[in-house]
Amino acid sequence: MLEFCHVNASCSMVPILHDISVCFQKGAVTTIIGPNGCGKTTLLQCLNGSSKVTSGSISLDGTDYLAMPLRERARRLSFLPQVRTIIPTLPVKTLVEHGRFPHLGFARRKSRQDIAIVEDAMDFTRVSPYAAQYADTLSGGIRQRAFFAMTLAQDCDYIVLDEPTTYLDLNGQREFMEMILKLKRRGRTIILVLHDIAQALRISDTLVIMQDRKIAAASTPKECLQQHIIESVFHVRIKEFSDAEGRYYFFC
Amino acid sequence: MRKKIVSLSLLLVLCSFAGILLGSVPLSPQGVLRCLAGLDRDSTTYVLVNTVRLPRVLGGCLAGMGLASAGVILQSVMNNTLASPNTIGVNSGAGFAVMLALMLGGGFSSAVPAAAFAGALVTTLTIFGLAYMADSSRTTIILAGITVSSFLNAGINTIKLIDADITVNLTTFMIGSLSGITFDSLRLPSAAICAALLLSLFLTKPLNILGLGDDIARSLGLHVTRSRLILLVLSSVLSGCVVSYAGLLGFVGLIVPHICRRLFGNDARYLLPCSALLGACFVLVCDMLGRVLFAPFELPAGVLMSFVGGPFFLYLLFKKKGGRRVNA
Repeated sequence: MLEFCHVNASCSMVPILHDISVCFQKGAVTTIIGPNGCGKTTLLQCLNGSSKVTSGSISLDGTDYLAMPLRERARRLSFLPQVRTIIPTLPVKTLVEHGRFPHLGFARRKSRQDIAIVEDAMDFTRVSPYAAQYADTLSGGIRQRAFFAMTLAQDCDYIVLDEPTTYLDLNGQREFMEMILKLKRRGRTIILVLHDIAQALRISDTLVIMQDRKIAAASTPKECLQQHIIESVFHVRIKEFSDAEGRYYFFC
Repeated sequence: MRKKIVSLSLLLVLCSFAGILLGSVPLSPQGVLRCLAGLDRDSTTYVLVNTVRLPRVLGGCLAGMGLASAGVILQSVMNNTLASPNTIGVNSGAGFAVMLALMLGGGFSSAVPAAAFAGALVTTLTIFGLAYMADSSRTTIILAGITVSSFLNAGINTIKLIDADITVNLTTFMIGSLSGITFDSLRLPSAAICAALLLSLFLTKPLNILGLGDDIARSLGLHVTRSRLILLVLSSVLSGCVVSYAGLLGFVGLIVPHICRRLFGNDARYLLPCSALLGACFVLVCDMLGRVLFAPFELPAGVLMSFVGGPFFLYLLFKKKGGRRVNA
């Protein structure tokens, strides 16, 4: 379980989050949703130090996360940030191999296990055919899958993804959701930020809804719908339809 | 990849040997080999090889290695392919400190490399601080570098005007030259350059990770600020020490890493050693041409470097329009 306890956080010296307490269950898919600028990214950035936790604590399976060495953190929790300011001119395979960085010893030599994990991650995200191609020459969707493969190559129990579907087309998004559910079945804990509420409702075990830099709600999609929290936070009305294949949500 | 490194090493051996052999007084290969083996100790060849050619070749080798590696490091650390010891003003910072040390310290020789290192480091950190404040916009860094460079170059000129007794030929110093290098003047810089090179070879993995951008580097468990600082110090040692004995040799630090990026890819594990080796070859060849072409007159290595390197780099730039590299 990943638990934020009374966390205050600031981003480039500007205080953003105040007294946030929220908890992410192990083995579940938790999706953070909320309007733009509500502090979702800042919350997640506490996990890799891009945002600074000024007070409060974060615990991972009972240990003090913030006191852990960075490398140890990166072995237990992998976090794929949202922004891509730099698109590396590296072959996809090399990029994915960088995911093994926290596991390598001083000599930084890859073991057979490292190589197997990298291949697995590339097969899982289906970027193996692009292994030798340069990341900067690929389409946004494939590039995003390559970054996702790098995150998976970290081989952590906790996988945190900040808006992973931004660069994907409809089909790409659907495939991505399937990957998330597959990872959950393999026992991984997944925490992600999504803007597509319908997707969030469909795949999440828990929804964390943020509004004005506060946690507005954290409960199952069903309860969130019943209590009309999404409707009040996003100022929309939700219509739900279901047929033999599943449920569909419309927002108006 | 290993093959490429081995062949580059062989090329460097070849260039070094040619550098000893050729010059205004050509020597015979047998004679040189005998001298290098320690025979013929009282021949003129022996004196020439040991007091002139050998230190010069060693200095050229280290200059090329140091500047090219510093270029690779700066480019990755600043995430800016336009960065190099020359473009961001590190060389000028070192040069200014050298002149200042010469003016204030007189003939105290071990102060010069130390001052060069300090000047290089202060300039690097200044530029980096500016870049950090300006949100790392790439053009801003380069503009700041050019501005700081010209400011420091003006400082160098002023010192020379104030204190005409300084035993440095200003023109050669500003262009960069390997003439008049002795083993004595090399002792401290060469030790520092070798140590920094060795250390940076151990840091190629973090260098690669830094190249992915701060956010991702942090997620992968890298101490971003600490690694960046260590690498900046290393690049300052490398370029500062070279400037202390060879002057403001430009260009190697920018074009050799780029040539190597095109030939060997962007992976720092290979890019760094390849750039170091190719940088050394490049400096040696240019220095040798400078000695041979118009013998007995000598062109400073820096002049030849711009003459040879510029067109070659342009050729590379335009040869592969669209595609940016050969398979790594």
